[in-house]
Amino acid sequence: GEPQMAAYLTHQQKVLRLYKKSLRHLESWCIYRDKYRYFACLLRERFDKNKDVKDMVKATELLKAGEEEFWANQHPQPYIFPDSPGGTSYERYECYKIPEWCLDYWHPSEKAMYPDYFAKREQWKKLQRESWDKEIKQLEEETPADGPSTEALPPARKEGHLPPLWWQYVTRPREIPM
Amino acid sequence: METTLLLNTSLLLTLAIILTPTLLLPVSKTSSNSPTTITRTVKTAFLISLIPMTLFMLSGTESITSYWEWKFTTNFKIPLSFKMDQYSMMFFPIALFVTWSILQFATWYMASEPHITKFFFYLLTFLIAMLILTIANNMFLLFIGWEGVGMMSFLLIGWWQGRAEANTAALQAVLYNRIGDIGLILSMAWLASTMNTWEMQQAPLPTQTPTLPLLGLILAATGKSAQFGLHPWLPAAMEGPTPVSALLHSSTMVVAGIFLLIRTHPLLANNPTALTLCLCLGALSTLFAATCALTQNDIKKIIAFSTSSQLGLMMVTIGLNLPQLAFLHISTHAFFKAMLFLCSGTIIHSLNGEQDIRKMGGLQKMLPTTTSCLTIGNLALMGTPFLAGFYSKDLIIESLNTSYLNTWALLLTLLATSFTATYSLRMTLLVQTGFPRTPTNSPTNENNPMITNPITRLALGSILAGLLITSYITPTKTPPMTMPTTTKTAAVIATALGIALAMELSTMTHTLTYPKQNPHLNFSSSLGYFNPLMHRPNTTNLLNSGQKIASHLIDLSWYKKMGPEGLTDLQLMAIKTSTTLHTGLIKTYLGSFALSIILILSTQT
Repeated sequence: GEPQMAAYLTHQQKVLRLYKKSLRHLESWCIYRDKYRYFACLLRERFDKNKDVKDMVKATELLKAGEEEFWANQHPQPYIFPDSPGGTSYERYECYKIPEWCLDYWHPSEKAMYPDYFAKREQWKKLQRESWDKEIKQLEEETPADGPSTEALPPARKEGHLPPLWWQYVTRPREIPM
Repeated sequence: METTLLLNTSLLLTLAIILTPTLLLPVSKTSSNSPTTITRTVKTAFLISLIPMTLFMLSGTESITSYWEWKFTTNFKIPLSFKMDQYSMMFFPIALFVTWSILQFATWYMASEPHITKFFFYLLTFLIAMLILTIANNMFLLFIGWEGVGMMSFLLIGWWQGRAEANTAALQAVLYNRIGDIGLILSMAWLASTMNTWEMQQAPLPTQTPTLPLLGLILAATGKSAQFGLHPWLPAAMEGPTPVSALLHSSTMVVAGIFLLIRTHPLLANNPTALTLCLCLGALSTLFAATCALTQNDIKKIIAFSTSSQLGLMMVTIGLNLPQLAFLHISTHAFFKAMLFLCSGTIIHSLNGEQDIRKMGGLQKMLPTTTSCLTIGNLALMGTPFLAGFYSKDLIIESLNTSYLNTWALLLTLLATSFTATYSLRMTLLVQTGFPRTPTNSPTNENNPMITNPITRLALGSILAGLLITSYITPTKTPPMTMPTTTKTAAVIATALGIALAMELSTMTHTLTYPKQNPHLNFSSSLGYFNPLMHRPNTTNLLNSGQKIASHLIDLSWYKKMGPEGLTDLQLMAIKTSTTLHTGLIKTYLGSFALSIILILSTQT
C-alpha cells in the first residue's frame, strides 16, 4: 500500500522540509527570477554535497546546523500563497459554507420552489439511513484492536455497499461558494 | 435671503436622497433595492450637493440651521442643528463623488458575493454617519456620527467573518477607537459642565479653556486618525474588502479625527501646549508610518501605511494652526488615495487574489488604464508640482519650514516626504515594470467599464482638484509669501532624494549579493516591534490584575481575612501564648485558689 503518516518524521523528510522552506524563503528574498535561480542553484549544491553522508550522527548535526542557519536568515515576511493558512484569502468564504442539514429547516413554501431537488434529497437521505449500519460494521471490522493508526478511511469492500462516512464527504460545501 | 434658502434646501435634499434606500427597506416587500440603485442614489446626491458648493464658492453663503430641540433638562437643550460652512460644503461633494466611484467599482469587485446588497447597505449607512459627523454643529450630533462610523467600520472590516484575522482586525479597530472615545467624552463632559451646552459656537473663550479637554480632543483624534500610539488598527483594517479600505480607511473615516480638530480649532489656537503636542505627534506618526511602509510587500498594506503617514501630515498642519490647509489636504488626499485603492483592487482581482507585490510585475502592458492611474495617484501622493497633492502638501511643508516652531518636527516631516517618494516608487517599479512574475493563466482584464470609469474619474479629480479648490476658496490666513529658494524647494528636493534612493535600492535588488536580515530591515518589517510589545503585555497585565483583585483582594481579603479567618488568626495567637499556662496540675490550681482567697480576705478586713 501507500506510505502512511506516522507519529515522527524520518531524517529524509526533515531534510526535504528544510530544503523546501529555505527555497521558499529564498524566493521571498530574491524577487527577480534570475537572481533567485542563481542562489537556488548554490543552495542545491550545498545540499547535494552532503547527500551521501551515511553516519546518522554527522547527518543530524548537519541538519541541526542547517536549521539554525535557516532561522538566522529567514525572511521576516515570507511569501504565503493567498489560499494557504496565513494567506490573505484563507478561510475567507468560511462564513458562506453552511452545512447541509440546514436544508431540513427550510419553510415548506421555500422547499416548494425546488420540488425535484427535495424529492431527490428524500431518496438520498433514505439511502444514508439504510447504509449507516453497514458502514459502522465495516469500520468496526477494519479498525485494529488498539485504535486506528491513520486517519484514512477504507473504501467499500462489498458489492452494493457504500464507503464509510460518505455522507459528510458528498454533502461538503463548495470551496468557493456561489 | 434666497441663497441661504437654496443652500439649506439643496443640502437637506442631498441628505434625504441618501436616506431613501434605508427608508425603503422596511416598506417595500419585494425589496427593490439593489447595488445599481444605491449607486445611482449616491450619484444623484453628488450632483445635487454641487449646488450648495457652487453657491458657497460664488457668494460665500454660510448658514447654521436648527431644527427640533431635545429638551433634555430645563437648562440643557440639545438642538438638531446643521452647520453649513466651507468645511461641510466642500466635504459633501468630495465624499459623495468618491463614494459614487467606489460603489460603482464595488458592483464589479463584489459581484460574486452572495450578500452584495447588504454590503452596499453597510457602505450607505457608513456614508450617512460620516455626513452627519461633517454637518454637525454640536458635539452630540458629532458623537452620533463618530460612533456610527466606528460601528460600520467594525461591521465592514469583519465582512468575511469566517476568517479569524478579519475578526481580530475588526476588534482591534473597535478597541483602539474606544480608547480615543474616552478623550472625546472627556471633552464633551467638560463642555457640558462649563457651558451647559454642546453647541460649538457657545464654546468658552480660548483663553479660558484649560488644557485637559484639549488633550481629550487630541486623544480622540489619535484614536480615530491612527496617530502613533493608537495606530496598529489601520494596517490591520486591510482585512476588509478593497472597497471598504478605499472608502473608510483612506478618504473618509480616518479623517474624522482631524475633522474634529478642525471644527474645534478656535479652542486649540491659543494653547501652545496642545499645538506643540499635535505638531510632534503628527511628525512622529508620519515618519513612523513611512518607515514601516518601506519594507511591506502587501500592496494594500503599503497604501494603508501611506494613509497613516498623510494623516500624520494633517496632524502637523493642525499643530501649525492652519485648519483650512489641513482640510485642503483631506480633500485632495481623498481623491488620489481612493484611486490608489481602487487600482490595487483591480490588480488583486485580475491576479486571482494575489496581493503580494513580489508576485506582480509587468502589469503596465497587461492593465494599461489601471497602471496609468496608479502612476498618476503615486505622483499626486508624492506632491508632483501642479497635481492635486502639490497644492496642499507643498504649502504644508513651506509653512512648517517658515514657522520656526520645531526643527525636530520639520526634519522628521522632510524625511517622511522622501520616504513617501521611496515606497511609492518601489511599489510602482515592482508592480508595473519588469518581467511578469505572476502565474500565466490569471484572468487579467479591465474590459468592464465598471472598472475603468471610476478610476479615470478619480484620476481626473486627482489632477484637477487641487487647482479648483485653491482657486475658489480664499484662505483665511495669509500663506508665507517670501522665503529663500532652498526653503521653497525643500519638499521637491526631499522627494527627488527619495526617488534617487528608490532607484538605488532597486538596482541593488538586481545585483547578486546574498540577501540577509539586518536590524533596520527587521525594525521596519515588524512595524517597529510595536504590536507585540503593546498588545500582549497590556492585556495580560490588565487581565491578571483583574483576576488578582477579584480572587485575592475581594474573596480572600475582604470576605475571609476581615471576617471569620481573621478572627480565627487573632484567637489562635492569643490561645497559643496562653496555652502554656494550662498545665493541668490540680495542686497548682488549689494553690492558686488558696492564694486568691487569702488575698481577698486580707484586703476585706
